[in-house]
Amino acid sequence: MLRFAVRRLFLLVPILIGLSLLLFVWVRALPGTPAAALLGERATPAAVERFERQYGLDRPIHVQYWAYVKTIASGDLGTSVASRRPVITEIKERFPATVELALAAMLFAVCVGLPLGFVAAKRYGGVVDHGSLFLSLIGISIPIFFLGIILKYVFAVRLGWLPTVGRQDVLIDAEHPTGFYILDAIVTGNWEAALDAIKHLVLPAIALGSIPLAIIARITRASTLDVQNEDYVRTARAKGLPPRTVDGRHVLRNALLPVVTILGLQVGVLLGGAVLTETVFAIPGMGSWLKEAIFNHDYPVLMGGILFLAVIFVLVNLVVDLTYGLINPRIRVS
Amino acid sequence: MSVAQIEETALEQNLTSTGLWRDSWRRLRRNPGAIVGFAFVAVFVAVAILAPLIAPYSPTEQNLALVAKGCCPGPSREHLMGVDELGRDELSRIVYGARYSLVIGVFSVAVGLSIGMLLGAIAGYLGGAADSAIMRAMDIMLAIPGLLLAIGIVAMLGPGFVPVMVAVGVANVPIFARLLRGTILGQRDADYVLAARSVGVRKSVILAGHILPNSISPVIVAATLAMATAIIDVAGLGFLGLGPQDPATPEWGTMLTTADRYISTAPFLAFFPGLAIVIAVLGFNLIGDGLREALDPKLRGRV
Repeated sequence: MLRFAVRRLFLLVPILIGLSLLLFVWVRALPGTPAAALLGERATPAAVERFERQYGLDRPIHVQYWAYVKTIASGDLGTSVASRRPVITEIKERFPATVELALAAMLFAVCVGLPLGFVAAKRYGGVVDHGSLFLSLIGISIPIFFLGIILKYVFAVRLGWLPTVGRQDVLIDAEHPTGFYILDAIVTGNWEAALDAIKHLVLPAIALGSIPLAIIARITRASTLDVQNEDYVRTARAKGLPPRTVDGRHVLRNALLPVVTILGLQVGVLLGGAVLTETVFAIPGMGSWLKEAIFNHDYPVLMGGILFLAVIFVLVNLVVDLTYGLINPRIRVS
Repeated sequence: MSVAQIEETALEQNLTSTGLWRDSWRRLRRNPGAIVGFAFVAVFVAVAILAPLIAPYSPTEQNLALVAKGCCPGPSREHLMGVDELGRDELSRIVYGARYSLVIGVFSVAVGLSIGMLLGAIAGYLGGAADSAIMRAMDIMLAIPGLLLAIGIVAMLGPGFVPVMVAVGVANVPIFARLLRGTILGQRDADYVLAARSVGVRKSVILAGHILPNSISPVIVAATLAMATAIIDVAGLGFLGLGPQDPATPEWGTMLTTADRYISTAPFLAFFPGLAIVIAVLGFNLIGDGLREALDPKLRGRV
């Protein structure tokens, strides 16, 4: 297992180098020069030259790249053009909202998708099965921002059960030591704030979780169908184990393996979809921040934010792979 | 059953088979889901092509007198889907919007498919250094979640019709490259390839004439499903305001951005464009699933 983990870690290195190279080139391909963006189009040639020397833009390209790598490795992602604050500071403020949203969406997707897919396979061809197929088809066919708008209209505007926008009611007075609102409220024992934060999270989580839900239900159903005809399941039944034990220990446990592998990929769907969901529900997370950055031409924010999310995505997949190696010993050898 | 009997039945079955494509087509026609999918896509494409004939009004003509009493009058006999905040006929806008979704969708899939297939074919067939270089590059692209990659590309090119097309297309490249490489690796050492190689057929001819046609069916399925995702992604970029910059453009995603603002008074403005997107996407998804089962009957009822 240790060797497997080390090998997986080594595979990470080219990806990270490639990512940094890609974003480095990307920034240089952006329209306009940094000097023009920060000093204005009418800056004197002398000012431009001074600026380029100050930021090392007159040095050879590979020296610039190395300097760039050293800077981001030290945790410095530059300064936002719009707010004039360090990008990393803004990430620290914005990231918890996105993590909270993505976790809630994933929780919703797993808690509904897994049982749905499993029961559908157990009742193959039945009502639940057809229902699950229909639901997962709708889940992948409905744009999350459209689903978000519908949910907002029905449950917030019409029924008034849940709040429409934001993370917290303005009237609630709560401290935020970590930035994770639900966690903060629980730590400080503020139950009113906890309930409020959860209420704000319900609709966005359902909207964002719709795609992973559909995919998890599909994969669970397909792999359960495969597994329940395996010889070891038949043997377990033949030796008289109660159906519940067979389902739990033999069928479900093995059927979960393919589901685990796709969970990591779903995190990518969640991080990308967060841009749309946060826009619909006006959540001040990474997604809405990146969206604003596009319109502000705030390239340090775009580059830092996308790099940060990509690294998170890669790391999550590393963890998923390691977990998979842990629960499925066969994978460690190959 | 004796060997002779088995061979006999095999022969009989063989007689009824008329080749992979015709068999698949027969299975596809019997799949009710796929038929519904074809119907949805047929309506979508027909509406896009015949837009000027179907649309009762111009999609950009404003009639501010209609919204003088506030936004927005709902469905009526004159305006079947109501009018938007500038008094434009919603039905006509949705009809013309089909053109944008169809054209952007087709082009972005074409971009992703052609570049992805080329890279995947080179990687899969040549192997070695070319394979490693291409696949590592694809891994790096896949490390950036799809929609974020598309957003990054649009930020680089600036918002608009063509950038959205390119962005969604490029984000699709690694998917096709990986898929084609995988299927080609499976075919590379097949007997028919060895046979072709042994009689001295050139590498490029083996790849184009022998391996590709045999690796194409998963690509067709993936392309159909990619069309569905492309329509959603394009609408998503439009919703974020990165689509065509002229606000008069009746792009479905862009229409939803405005509709979100009037959601409490005119929910139908969000409902109709959203429904249009769902129908188009559902159609391609149903066809894609049907094709997958038709081309690989073992999967029937499983995926």
